[in-house]
Amino acid sequence: MTVPLETSRRLAPASPVSPSQPRRRPLTVRRVLTAIIRTVVAIVIVTAALFPLAWMAIAGFKSKQEVVRTPFQFFPEVWRLENYQQILADPAFVRTLAITGFGAVLFTLLSLTVNSFAAYAFARLEFAFKRTLWVVVISTMFIPGMTILLTSFIVVTKLHMLDTLAVLILPGAAAAAHVFFIRQFYLNIPRSLEEAAMIDGCGKFGIFLRLFVPLSKPPFVVVGITSFLVFWNAYVWPVMTITSPDLYQVQQYLATFRSERSSELALLMAGSTLAAAPVIILFLIFQRQIIANIKMAGLK
Amino acid sequence: MATSSPTAQGSPAPLHSHPPRDTRITLLMLAPVLILLTIFVIVPTISAIYLSFFNWSFYQESEFVGLRNFVNVLTDPEFRAAIRRGLLFVLMTLPVQLLLSFLIASFVTGVGRRLATTLKIAVYIPTIISAVITSITFALIYEYSGGLLNAAVGLVGIEDQAWIGDVRLALPAIAVPAIWMGLGLMTLIMIAAMLDVPESFYEAAQLEGANWWQRTRYITIPQMKNVLLYLLITGFVAAIQQYELPLVMTGGGPLDSTTLPNLFIFNHFRGDTYQGYSIAAALLLFLVLGAVSALIFRVLNSEKLVD
Repeated sequence: MTVPLETSRRLAPASPVSPSQPRRRPLTVRRVLTAIIRTVVAIVIVTAALFPLAWMAIAGFKSKQEVVRTPFQFFPEVWRLENYQQILADPAFVRTLAITGFGAVLFTLLSLTVNSFAAYAFARLEFAFKRTLWVVVISTMFIPGMTILLTSFIVVTKLHMLDTLAVLILPGAAAAAHVFFIRQFYLNIPRSLEEAAMIDGCGKFGIFLRLFVPLSKPPFVVVGITSFLVFWNAYVWPVMTITSPDLYQVQQYLATFRSERSSELALLMAGSTLAAAPVIILFLIFQRQIIANIKMAGLK
Repeated sequence: MATSSPTAQGSPAPLHSHPPRDTRITLLMLAPVLILLTIFVIVPTISAIYLSFFNWSFYQESEFVGLRNFVNVLTDPEFRAAIRRGLLFVLMTLPVQLLLSFLIASFVTGVGRRLATTLKIAVYIPTIISAVITSITFALIYEYSGGLLNAAVGLVGIEDQAWIGDVRLALPAIAVPAIWMGLGLMTLIMIAAMLDVPESFYEAAQLEGANWWQRTRYITIPQMKNVLLYLLITGFVAAIQQYELPLVMTGGGPLDSTTLPNLFIFNHFRGDTYQGYSIAAALLLFLVLGAVSALIFRVLNSEKLVD
């Protein structure tokens, strides 16, 4: 994505910077004003981004009546933990968190394994129809989920996968975007490293395991977190394929709760807060790698 | 496969024009992705194309109907209304997202490193929150009696509104959380693109006394052309496909006012006995999206608009 610079203006070395202008300007009204405006803008941005989540958490601390009381009330009169305690004492909710978390971990591991395998194959192995297979894999990236939603449902029905953990884990595990992303990373690993390993008697798979995997932390973090999020946040697919309460997914639980127990809003908000917390914590742990890789992930 | 002849084992690689092939290891490493993609993407795609020519049902023999499903979709005023609604939704969300993320990115690139990190983390967090939780939270804010928004507009003397229960207000009310969720990724991509513009351009502009708007207009935007194009296309494709927010918040109502194209198709999936119609609609949307993406790309790529 290099943009040729058509009108590159040359820096005229002759034009002198006036020596009378000192580098550090004194504290003027203008500078103080700038600092204040900057602070205000920063606070507005952070508030706009985080307020809805804060509002959700606050609502969880309110009583059943307070949460939609008229006249309106911003903070609870008493900050109560009752809703959080009550929802955590509900075995259905806890099971839903556990089974979704368990599924998400399995899904993440499977996604990392199969996609990095394929990425390595396309980056480093020689085989028949390599180019054709690459085009086939990449073109699956452009098929919208809605186009194949119904026929995917038919496929998993015919495979007798409905109401199993497999129906949640297998269909999304292979993702062309992830193969593409990890492959880009592998293409940048210098070949000289492999030659050294080759001399040490490593096979191609040994090179992958002992050289590529240990170097793969940056793309694995991005692909791993993305996979976890996709699984944790999935709603429509679980609704279509899971009917047994034992396998209920967390988003499914929350949406069902909202439509069936609409009078218990405060409890729902506590549950939503607890359901959002794991992904927020996960993101905060890995935010540096994720943010650093966004440019890589979004563009070529 | 073809290369593994019994005599070749243990002997040096035969002389071929291409490098030696790693057939066995390739089979091991590529098979999982190829098998999964075949079962869960390629087979469903091909059967979607195939079934779009049939009147298909879970319970009965399917019947070949030729192009009738496509004709039914294209002549259905409800489908057209859903598409128009989808475009309206794009107009409500995408320009706001592009403008806001550009402004936020400009701001973030101008502040110190620590504040910039905090801002990046904050704007990205909404991106990782599920559509269901976002819907639940905004529905609480939109609550008719005792909701935050009605309390806020009440302060300036506007009477209570049924934000997601009113035909005129429901779609904009869903656009707001859509903007909120999508802003973070756009902003961070823009920040990365802005930091890619060589500093020397700005120094040169500074010497000539260019102000912020001139620097933005003549340096930042032209330099970010490809990134902006990318965000425009992906943002369009994402916005017109949004359906989880209305599915949870309104179910498409009131009076279909939030039935976006994909929700229209999804409701047909769930409601229809015969499925040819919804499959044809989903395929048409796929084709239209591809065409629109290509069109936007071509228009923006012509030198006229970029002067």
